[in-house]
Amino acid sequence: MTAARRPGTEADAVLGAVPRLVFAPATVDEAAESVRECARDGHSLAFVGGGTDLGLGAPPSRLDAVLRTEGLSRVVEHAPSDQIVSVEAGLSLSALQRTLAGHGQRLALDPPFPGRATAGGIVAANAFGPLRARYGAVRDLVIGVSIVRADGTVARGGGKVVKNVAGFDLPRLMVGSLGTLGLVATVNFRLHPLPEARATLLFPGLTAAAARSLLVEARSAQLEPAAAAALASGGALELGVRFEGFAPGVKQQGDRLLDLAGKAGVTAERLDEATAGAFWERHDRLRESGTFRARISAPPSALPAVARDAVAPLLSALAGGGAALYPTLGLGFVCGDPASGPATAAAVERARVALVALGGALVLAAAPADVRAAADAWGAPPAALALMRSLKDRLDPERRLAPGRFAGGL
Amino acid sequence: MGATAQIAELARRMAAVVGARNCVSDPSELITYECDGLTHDRVHPDLVVLPGSTAEVVEVVKLARAAGRPIVPRGSGTGLSGGARPVPGCVVVGLTRMRRILEVNLDDGWVRVEPGVINLDVSRAVSGAGWYYAPDPSSQGVCSIGGNVAENSGGAHCLKYGFTVNHVLGARLVCADGAVVDLGGRAPDAPGYDLLAALVGSEGMVGIVTEVTLKLLRKPEATRTFLAIFPSTDEGGNAVSGIIAAGILPAAIEMMDSLAIRAAKAATGLGWPETCVLLMDADGPVAEVEHVSARAIEIARSCGATEIRVPRDEAERQLMWKGRKSAFAAVGRISPNYMVEDGVIPRSEIARVLREIEAMAKAVGLRVANVFHAGDGNLHPLVLYDARVPGEEERAARLGGDILRMCVRYGGSITGEHGVGAEKAAFMADMFGPDDLETMQQVRCAFDGDAMFNPGKVFPSTRLCGEKPGPYRPHPAEISGQAERW
Repeated sequence: MTAARRPGTEADAVLGAVPRLVFAPATVDEAAESVRECARDGHSLAFVGGGTDLGLGAPPSRLDAVLRTEGLSRVVEHAPSDQIVSVEAGLSLSALQRTLAGHGQRLALDPPFPGRATAGGIVAANAFGPLRARYGAVRDLVIGVSIVRADGTVARGGGKVVKNVAGFDLPRLMVGSLGTLGLVATVNFRLHPLPEARATLLFPGLTAAAARSLLVEARSAQLEPAAAAALASGGALELGVRFEGFAPGVKQQGDRLLDLAGKAGVTAERLDEATAGAFWERHDRLRESGTFRARISAPPSALPAVARDAVAPLLSALAGGGAALYPTLGLGFVCGDPASGPATAAAVERARVALVALGGALVLAAAPADVRAAADAWGAPPAALALMRSLKDRLDPERRLAPGRFAGGL
Repeated sequence: MGATAQIAELARRMAAVVGARNCVSDPSELITYECDGLTHDRVHPDLVVLPGSTAEVVEVVKLARAAGRPIVPRGSGTGLSGGARPVPGCVVVGLTRMRRILEVNLDDGWVRVEPGVINLDVSRAVSGAGWYYAPDPSSQGVCSIGGNVAENSGGAHCLKYGFTVNHVLGARLVCADGAVVDLGGRAPDAPGYDLLAALVGSEGMVGIVTEVTLKLLRKPEATRTFLAIFPSTDEGGNAVSGIIAAGILPAAIEMMDSLAIRAAKAATGLGWPETCVLLMDADGPVAEVEHVSARAIEIARSCGATEIRVPRDEAERQLMWKGRKSAFAAVGRISPNYMVEDGVIPRSEIARVLREIEAMAKAVGLRVANVFHAGDGNLHPLVLYDARVPGEEERAARLGGDILRMCVRYGGSITGEHGVGAEKAAFMADMFGPDDLETMQQVRCAFDGDAMFNPGKVFPSTRLCGEKPGPYRPHPAEISGQAERW
């Protein structure tokens, strides 16, 4: 079985590197065969899904071939009563959610660009969205993988049951590895039921300190939001908090959060379905807007410092930009169009210094070449770089899988 | 130098690091360390060292390495798969002296602890402020956080809240070369590979953890518990499927079959009919759990529950849970000996699998009591036997193994929470192929290329990845003349 192939073009570029050859396998076996061929020929290789996080990380130092996963788009198995699904890497999130919704279920992940983002890409990029507040990150939902290693070996880890501690944890190790340890060929996920009810409350015109304080109050009151997102496009934050579950619980929690806001003197609004939809669409557009996107992280308690010392400098260097912050998680996206490469790069460095001092990080998820020319994608190498290098050497000893794209130059 | 003199010399050097009373070499004292909770599998260690700090762990690792000795890390020794069982010629490194809670940060919801801290003590330390640590293995009153990290421990409530790996934010690791590395961080998604994921559940095979940062959770506003009695596990299993299918995510949903109930009754005096019992916790905001609990009770009734018991107060609730949690030990009341298994199946297959287990047991003339985390299909079949009857222990072990293989056949796992350890290494080949196992070996060897930590565990073969069996092998440093053997 040999995968379809064609010459690479500009459209196949990974962070500016144009491959000579593009593989488009239709099966996992074909994918493995393509990877084996690259191993034989000593070709460097990158894996591409929907391309929504292709800008994540640094440009590969060399790139001979790209393997596109779009032909691997089958649902291998969906066991509704066991709430698990096994899918091939190239299946888009939207397509998967459509299948699952027919059974009243969903994969509780809501990263940017769901129409294009693929299962394998979401795992490789550790993509996330606001639902992470309640349901966890990719690492909390992935229960099994099969991977194709640099030499073409197909290996499985984890399994198809939620509870399983047999063997070393390959599934979680693949999360966020950006295809530098192997191709994520199939993924098994844990699923959740679609909630019976949901409600969003909106708190406009908040300072970061007020937003943090309201969320701490909510936590003290034992409320359990499914998602919280603070949108910033200039000065004040617009905080949306969503509750999900059964109707009585959703109503009670909404009422109580409104009470808390009232006591704190915070303006609040319970959104109807249409306005709630509009708020979350605004959120979606914001985190997908522009040619620049940074992922930022810091401890949740540092929200005011993050807003002041990281978000503000970045936004001042971006036109039409905005930030989608997840304040209960300590994560966020800052997006927009750089007014000037050097100025944006300087803002990246300034924001990164502030975030690192707080214990966090800034990683470039998309940026034009003139920003990249002066701003590093990752920042300082990780503290555990020696172990990471050792892992890379074990799984990709010839450094052929997107070499140089990952943190620490791996 | 003879073997005895070598050990004496190593003990002397270790004692200089950790203090004489924290270096155990007296054969009668070493007996305590011959096994963990898997008590029938014993190996006499040559030396047990109990370091008190990261710096001491570093020195201990370096000394063991220079002496060409494997290291077996050990927490409270409550593991049920032999993960802390010594290997021949090893140094056991016990972390029980490192039991300080180093830092509590409720603003960001975490606690930093040493590995010897007892699981329940983490929750106790923050309970007054309304927080807790979620993973709750049945042994939580005695098991250590370091052991939990090694085994990726679960518990009854991990259906909703996840396992240890979902609650570890950071760790300090002493590596095979003595290097100290911090993994994870105070913010999520630290750039780099998720080495924490590789560490948690690595069963003591990648290094020694000397600090762990754990995520804390705010206590839920309310918990509602009920107990449902069914004529058999068929109806009970259907009720579990029905509850999950209704979109309910219980905090815990546990089942016991007739034999397990009989044992629990003998131990606790609980008045449960000896048929099938289902125990469910729902937790969260009050209105949500009231609704969920009422709905689950309806479903249980419609699936054939003959009786629903709702505890009147917290004391009665605790008693119900005691009946469940005491089940393992209680089995000792109805059988001279028993083996605890730990398999996972898709939860929709519970009823079918239990019938199959019954038939398998009957075929070999043994009894199996079943206690299990029904929500995630994690079975704990307790194989009852009498060691005084010749051949019965072997038959019990064979039946246990057959049950695990059946779990794999149903698409499940050979372990849901106890780990592979020494006990199930042979079964890994039933669940994974050679390429899968070799890949996992590569991950392990990325941390510990010489397989110095806990060799011979988890993997069915010791010859992969350059690992050679046997304790006395020359170390590269020795060959190059940088270290001497004594």
